[in-house]
Amino acid sequence: MKNLIKKELNSYLNTPLGYIPTILFGIFANFFFVKDLFITGSASLRSFFLLLPWFLLIFVPGQAMRSFSEEKRANTIEVLLTLPYQETQIVLAKFLANLILFFIALSLTLSLPLSLSFLTKIYLPEVLVSYLGALFLGASFSSLSLFFSSQTKNQVVSFLSSVVSLFFLLLLGSDFFASLLPKNLQEFFVPLSPLYHFQNFVKGILDFRSLFYFFSFTFLFLFLTVLELEKRN
Amino acid sequence: MIILSSVSKFFGQKKAVDNISFKTKEGEIIGFLGPNGAGKTTTMRLILGYLKPDFGKISVSGLDPVEQRVEVLKQVGYLPENNPLYQEMKVFEYLEFIALAKNEKNWQEIAKEVGLSSVFNKKIEELSFGFKQRVGLAASLFGNPKYLILDEPTSGLDPLEQEKIRNLIKKLGQKKTIIFSTHILSEAEKVANRLIIIQNGQIVYDGKKPKEKGGVEKLFKKKVKN
Repeated sequence: MKNLIKKELNSYLNTPLGYIPTILFGIFANFFFVKDLFITGSASLRSFFLLLPWFLLIFVPGQAMRSFSEEKRANTIEVLLTLPYQETQIVLAKFLANLILFFIALSLTLSLPLSLSFLTKIYLPEVLVSYLGALFLGASFSSLSLFFSSQTKNQVVSFLSSVVSLFFLLLLGSDFFASLLPKNLQEFFVPLSPLYHFQNFVKGILDFRSLFYFFSFTFLFLFLTVLELEKRN
Repeated sequence: MIILSSVSKFFGQKKAVDNISFKTKEGEIIGFLGPNGAGKTTTMRLILGYLKPDFGKISVSGLDPVEQRVEVLKQVGYLPENNPLYQEMKVFEYLEFIALAKNEKNWQEIAKEVGLSSVFNKKIEELSFGFKQRVGLAASLFGNPKYLILDEPTSGLDPLEQEKIRNLIKKLGQKKTIIFSTHILSEAEKVANRLIIIQNGQIVYDGKKPKEKGGVEKLFKKKVKN
């Protein structure tokens, strides 16, 4: 599987479409946080982490859209599926490669807690749990985007399907959506949103239910992607 | 041995492969002939487990290509139609990737034998059609496969390149079972020792190659009706 991951990472690094989104993510994530930092006067990373899911809504599908779509368009999927690898290995390799790239992109935002720590005292456990939450969030978004990428040979269709689906999922956990619903429906819909569970991490809470949610979400979409590859019709 | 027993494959309502059966023998070079859309590529993909048959059974060295796909693929080298390659990769990166997948230690020697030494560091997208075909062919030989399935291996090549690939197939056929599809009937006459002609998904001829010159063309015209 190391061979597959290496090939995936190389395919990202060999094309500007692969590494430019990562650099842009780093630049924009830093900019949007720093621009408000001195206006609000708040030396907390919470506003950055609350903004992060909306950044990832664009970044992760943009990064993952080519994973299978491009293989289908160029028909290299036939090369891949006629090599002695299980479908599960292929899906996991693509997922892990996306996750590594996401990890690199996320590490570009480490400049924020570092620079903030020079200005004031930051509460490190909360920052670490928030970053852990961001990793889980990125993993779940990646798995969903991989699934949509496996559905089509058109990268734009793959990207838009992922963005729209993730947008509605995030919307479910937003205050705006919750305010529209009666309380009993709120209790049902809001916990379906990754935003709701990510907010627990941002508060510095490691909730077992949120961990379970992200694991199940990621597993479900990886499993559906494997099923899609196994169909091969 | 590759065995197909009453295999059918549908794409929607269309029957791409219709109840076909054949058995390969060791050392055979089978020319797989038929007009466009006859079902040649589908049959090859079924043997590899890339597609699943709707009816019938396929066995490759006693293994089921759907249930034991990975084990089957360790024994089969495949050159797909139109030779899809990762264009952004360099030649050595691509070959190394396939070699690691197929556990081939001597991949550099095979690549040299196929005549790729001069383009090792070039990106695949920069190669001529002939070199691209050689890359695909070299990759299909990795892992010392028992069977070679080559879908239009000389398509788009100039006559000189075609001759080289034909000679290579003949040489490889001394040790391996080869199934190759082609539109060029004279090629089947030069290389194959058995012919399977397929039309509308059905086998219309399975037997020895005619001995007389131009016999393959005559046979093809007789069997394949417009």
